[in-house]
Amino acid sequence: MGDAATDYTIDELVVTALAKEFPDDTVAFNGAVSFVPVCALLLARATHAPNLIWVASSIAVDPQPKEIGESTLSDALWDGATMLQSSAADFWAYAQSGRMNSFCFRGAQIDAFGNVNNTVIGTYEQPKIRLPGGGGMADLGCQVGRIYLWSTTHDRRTFVDKLDFRSGLGWGDGGDHRQRLGLPGGPRVCVTNLCVMDFHQVSKRMRLRSVHPGVSVEDVIAQTGFELVIEGEVPQTVPPTREEVELIRRLDPTDARKREFA
Amino acid sequence: MSAEDKLWALGDAAELVRDGDLVAIGGLSLNCAPMAFCRQLARAGRRDLDLLAVVSGMAVDWLIAAGCVRRLIMGLTSFEGFGLAPSFRRAAETGSIQVQEWSEHTLICALQAATAGVPFMPTRAGLGTDMPALHPDRTWEAIDERSGERYLACAAIKPDVAVIHVHEADRRGNARMNPKLVWFDTELVKAAGRVIVTAERIVETSTFRQAPERTSIPGFAVDHVIEAPRGAWPTACWPEYPYDGDFYRSYQRAARDPKAFAELFAEHVAPLSTSASMGA
Repeated sequence: MGDAATDYTIDELVVTALAKEFPDDTVAFNGAVSFVPVCALLLARATHAPNLIWVASSIAVDPQPKEIGESTLSDALWDGATMLQSSAADFWAYAQSGRMNSFCFRGAQIDAFGNVNNTVIGTYEQPKIRLPGGGGMADLGCQVGRIYLWSTTHDRRTFVDKLDFRSGLGWGDGGDHRQRLGLPGGPRVCVTNLCVMDFHQVSKRMRLRSVHPGVSVEDVIAQTGFELVIEGEVPQTVPPTREEVELIRRLDPTDARKREFA
Repeated sequence: MSAEDKLWALGDAAELVRDGDLVAIGGLSLNCAPMAFCRQLARAGRRDLDLLAVVSGMAVDWLIAAGCVRRLIMGLTSFEGFGLAPSFRRAAETGSIQVQEWSEHTLICALQAATAGVPFMPTRAGLGTDMPALHPDRTWEAIDERSGERYLACAAIKPDVAVIHVHEADRRGNARMNPKLVWFDTELVKAAGRVIVTAERIVETSTFRQAPERTSIPGFAVDHVIEAPRGAWPTACWPEYPYDGDFYRSYQRAARDPKAFAELFAEHVAPLSTSASMGA
């Protein structure tokens, strides 16, 4: 894979770690404020997954943008697309049938089973903070089989034991809950600024898979509001190579990915 | 001629909406919302509107700030990277409007049920989330007796009026998106009782006859056509003009101070009455 880079930044580590999760048969689409997944999809396509199809903004099929703009829903991403799939009804047909199979989302709150809240902090009727709303996440969490979670704020405010509101479905109550609801697949991983987590096969509870260089298991435990599954020695996340860092900087020359890192 | 002439003046646009109507607003986030039309509603001081806006931002924020809104039926309301929609947020947190959160696909289902004239549309969307319980009389989980499969039933929503913005229309209501992301707009058009199209340009019907494959909405599905150049500003009318990021930023800055907001709002939208939701 080449030499480890020495001058990479955290956004490049997160993008690289997420990119590695996308297999070659990925047909993914992205929503709003999704700079990290867009970058990761571009990187995966440029490296190990040349057949990966990315539908930019859920609209532009297989584009080749020169840069990533201020909005991941804007036409700045659509250059070179083979189709502009412009109707929501068309989009949802392919998302429900499984032709489009992958979606990345996150939330203001994320729980141990990968369910997310993007609706309210506090009660629904009298919110302390009224957030934008579940949007398409409430739908696609149920409809799409491969869900990838990410967060650039791994702390106890984000990773909570109990969501104030369940806007988007991950593994639900855990175990076979999704299956009982008749829903496909579920969340595969959650990549954060501290670590990579996947989900225990049976309980579907988040499990610590690797910690980023410079982060300890104790750090992650301290910043997580629920009990993580930890099995044996937790390895370090493989840092990006020089080639990967160069690629990321070429694919995202305006550093749009850094918008998600305060 | 007169029977087919659906042209309406932008200045009289608010007459097409009654207080208390359920108004569906087109557009997608920062893209192609009927902003000029919303400005007219704000200026006319329409009250007690129920809005349906699947993924909106500035349009909804203007109407809430102007005190026009009783209830918002929505999937998501934000300014994306420009932050939370400030008037929406404040109104939801103080309870001055009722926010009825659905989701994107459940709202499409509700519109499609209205279009088809059936009581509800089934979907897997929303299963296992907290959303259906927010409006259990409109969305409920059920099990199909024959297959044993679970679904969420989405009761029909029929907007009184739908308003969308397009690139070109003729006096008969034929409308063309040239191209733009249609996204939810055509679902709103199909479901609504009355349809209003605002257009960057009014063109001759011959323009449509020359390229009928590019017509997005047939004239018979449209009730009123309004000429509104730059009518989507500050949202984008891709590919003719982009969203105005500077306006979003200055709007956010002004929203921190009631006086600055009132000034900005009076200049670009409508004077705020003292009873409007911002100050009161």
